[in-house]
Amino acid sequence: MVTIILNKNKLLNKLGIDEDLLENILFNLKSEMKMLDEDNLEIEINADRLDLLSSDGISRAIKGLLERELGEAKYKVVDTDYKLIVHNVRSRPYALAAVVYNANIDLQELIQFQEKLHSTIGRKRKKVAIGIHDLNKIDTKIIEYKEIPTTYKFIPLNGNREMTIDEVIYQTEQGKLYGKLSIFDNLSPSIIQSDGQVLSIPPIINSEKSKIDERTKNFFIDVTGTSFDAVAQTLDLLVTNLAESGGIIGKVKIEYENKRVSNVEYSPLLVHKTISVNKNYIYNTLGIDKEKDICRHIMRMRMDCEEYGANIKVIVPPYRIDIINSIDIVEDVAMSIGYNNLIPSKYLISNYGNYDYTTLLERRIRELSIGANFIEIFNFVLIKESKLFDKKYIKILNPISEEYNAVRNSLIPVLLDFLSKNQHAKFPVRVFEIGDVVIKDDTTDTGYRNDKRVAYAIMDSRVSYEDIQAPIHYILSSMGITPNYIETNSDIFIEGRVANVLYKNQAIGILGEIKPEILLKFDIEYPIVMAELYVTKIMELIRV
Amino acid sequence: MLSENEIKILDFLKTVKRSNSEEIANKTGLSISSVLSLINLLAEKGYVRVEKKVEEYYALTEEGKKRKNEGLPEDILINKLNGREEEINNVKTMLGEDFNIAISWAKKKGLIDIKEGKIIPKISSHVSEEYYALFNLENANKNLIEVLERRGLVEKREKIIILVELLKEPEEITPTISNITHEILVSGEWKKYKFKKYNVAAFPPFFPISKKHYFKEFLEKVKDIMINLGFTEVNTGYVEMEFYNFDILFQPQDHPAREIHDSFSIEGMGKIDNQDLLNNVKKMHESSWKYEWKQEIALRLMLRSQSTATTARVLASKPNPPLKVFTVGKVFRPDAIDATHLIEFHQLDGLIIDDNFTFRDLLGVLREIFYRLGIREIKFKPAYFPFTEPSVEVYGYLEKLGWVEMCGAGLLRPEILNAVGIKSRAGAWGIGLERLAMSFLNINDIRLLYSNNIEYIREMKVNLW
Repeated sequence: MVTIILNKNKLLNKLGIDEDLLENILFNLKSEMKMLDEDNLEIEINADRLDLLSSDGISRAIKGLLERELGEAKYKVVDTDYKLIVHNVRSRPYALAAVVYNANIDLQELIQFQEKLHSTIGRKRKKVAIGIHDLNKIDTKIIEYKEIPTTYKFIPLNGNREMTIDEVIYQTEQGKLYGKLSIFDNLSPSIIQSDGQVLSIPPIINSEKSKIDERTKNFFIDVTGTSFDAVAQTLDLLVTNLAESGGIIGKVKIEYENKRVSNVEYSPLLVHKTISVNKNYIYNTLGIDKEKDICRHIMRMRMDCEEYGANIKVIVPPYRIDIINSIDIVEDVAMSIGYNNLIPSKYLISNYGNYDYTTLLERRIRELSIGANFIEIFNFVLIKESKLFDKKYIKILNPISEEYNAVRNSLIPVLLDFLSKNQHAKFPVRVFEIGDVVIKDDTTDTGYRNDKRVAYAIMDSRVSYEDIQAPIHYILSSMGITPNYIETNSDIFIEGRVANVLYKNQAIGILGEIKPEILLKFDIEYPIVMAELYVTKIMELIRV
Repeated sequence: MLSENEIKILDFLKTVKRSNSEEIANKTGLSISSVLSLINLLAEKGYVRVEKKVEEYYALTEEGKKRKNEGLPEDILINKLNGREEEINNVKTMLGEDFNIAISWAKKKGLIDIKEGKIIPKISSHVSEEYYALFNLENANKNLIEVLERRGLVEKREKIIILVELLKEPEEITPTISNITHEILVSGEWKKYKFKKYNVAAFPPFFPISKKHYFKEFLEKVKDIMINLGFTEVNTGYVEMEFYNFDILFQPQDHPAREIHDSFSIEGMGKIDNQDLLNNVKKMHESSWKYEWKQEIALRLMLRSQSTATTARVLASKPNPPLKVFTVGKVFRPDAIDATHLIEFHQLDGLIIDDNFTFRDLLGVLREIFYRLGIREIKFKPAYFPFTEPSVEVYGYLEKLGWVEMCGAGLLRPEILNAVGIKSRAGAWGIGLERLAMSFLNINDIRLLYSNNIEYIREMKVNLW
């Protein structure tokens, strides 16, 4: 989700509608609005609808849904004598440019639009960077895109003195943020006049020379990047939105030094895509009646549409870069109809649902555990790695906090942790948890698998082995499992007071009294007896 | 109301009218301490008058007890000599540490003479008067007691005697008891007693009752709803390959959701043997998104960030439609933990594959699920998810919060269905469960769903319906 901030009254006046209607239409365009203060409106735009990141794009869409304008918005496009020569720029090989005349812009909003495009389609300027210039301040008709040494000097935007590119990278905030993205062998990409004056250093900063202000009417726009498609789409989005505010789009001649990189001759490309769709496909996918006028709905969504018998042909305008194929057309028809006007159907297919067997076993174990007077607790799966005893655990490579930097591989540390926080509770504390731990398993495709476990603990001023053995024994017996107990060694339990629980000669759990040194490690000052049973294993043994 | 023991005391006093605490204890078999408290109770109730008296008496010292057992030293001397003279040194060995006391008292009492280093007894056997007195201090004469006291064999002590006088007899004495015992019940003796009254309005002591966990119960309820709607439950592991979490779901490899801070990464690589599936997914990405799809990125391990990964595994298994499956499972996403955010939470993911399944059918299923969850008012909003088209967000109306986004859903993109070779249409959705649970359980801090405070868990009310 991307948010933009717009002046409410400007927008409402431009559209001649009230706030409620605006909110309602935006909702149906995947967007939500809320008032920030008296004047300002915050609008959340969905990540696919980048054309809505400016008030011009929003009003274009709304005019369609209000049926004031239908079909593709038609913008005036003229030739110019500007030319962009694209040299070999290794870090960001693609560049395109456009001119827009006589656009009626709100400066803040235009800068916001540029920034939002940078952060979305531009992937924080890694993929695409945009330079917007005052055309009247550009002196040459030929602009070049090329690598220049980082010792090259220019006055960066809002600066008051000449700086080298190196200085910009190391001394300015912009430089620190984006400087690393494009420098190669001490060379930096640049948009530069043929007389050598820098217009911008993509993706870092523009030059003070061509700075735009409130009075700017005529624009030169450069877009550079690592993906040709993304560069072309970004430029199309920019010029069509500026044209919606009354601007005239001017074509710039593009000359790629290396024709293998691109053979485009003019930009903006103003890409139109044609998608043919069978009308029945739309009716059937949505489940709507066949009387609906599909083309009208397409046109309300500001696309052009022609009918050919059972098919329609949709001409997707350059600002709708989200439309990929016919299923996207289906969604636009649904949006035009309004999701809430599509009556939900009574869909039923006659079959029975089935629980996962593990869910059923888990439920039985929970009931018996309550019967044995253990209260159920529910803890996180993520845990601090130092709390785990078995050192074969999953470490998270990018943890958000030290407290949760591993995945639990046993419930015993989880319960000890819980008890350590409840030493001042009324005694006895008898708890159990059933849940998944993750253990290594080379037979699975990820090399790990979830293992369902259930663990029990009793903390009291005095507890002993039988206090835990007895309830476990009768819980298992109630499930038809007669366990055996065999003495074992353990790092966690006291020697001579710990047993493996066996069934059909296989270990299905462990129980005993916790060692004092373990209690102290968890800052626990009372004795604890515990058991852990391996539910997944039990499941395997009883379902044969 | 008189207790069983109070009645015992009154019964005894009826015969003697006056007595004291010691005597009462002796006669009734009650301990002196319970007698003292019982007669005070009887005095409060007006049955007896109690008077306190301090009495002096003599008691044996440790030394006195010893002499009572062994005899007085001078008597032992006389009896050992048995009328014969004996060298002083021999007598010393005979008597050990008692020698000096024995000689001095024997001389004082004129029982021996000492001449030329020899002790000459005047009689052959002797028992002193004081010795008899040790056995009967109460009746011993004053002189003797004084001697004993001087010799350190007795000492003076004080005791408090409580004198009790019966003032009135209870009109009707029906004894009471606290508990029915097996013995009282089978002997029929219970008929003689009344039951002692309790303060029944007082609150009881702490009683630890065990119950199922409130949030877990909510998750189980969600499963029940899905089963009742004819869905089959499926589950997969927390550790997942990016392939199932993202790639197969049409999420491009440079999608922002795949950046390092948006999911938890794990060391290692998964493996996928189905080469066709890998090729199809590669083709789907490269033709739609125009970039070079890398298998090694797809095989990277992570903690699943959406339970749609489970749905994706079902899809990859090439199931036979019609199919309705669901999963309720945990997902993991890096985030700042606070009252509304956790880094692990649950989702309900559902999948329907059916030839004629429509978008309106999907809306119908969602409406039904929410209705059964208790959300009666919903609305649909167009949305964007990489793997569905059309996509929809479901907003539900909650009393306290108003309209809340609750679910993302849509028809699976044809690109995905083509890649896994499914010819029918399919609908899928994911519902975050924590926020719903908070609303139903009246919890305003998401962390309380996983409270580590046992008292909070103990006090949590059980949802009745």
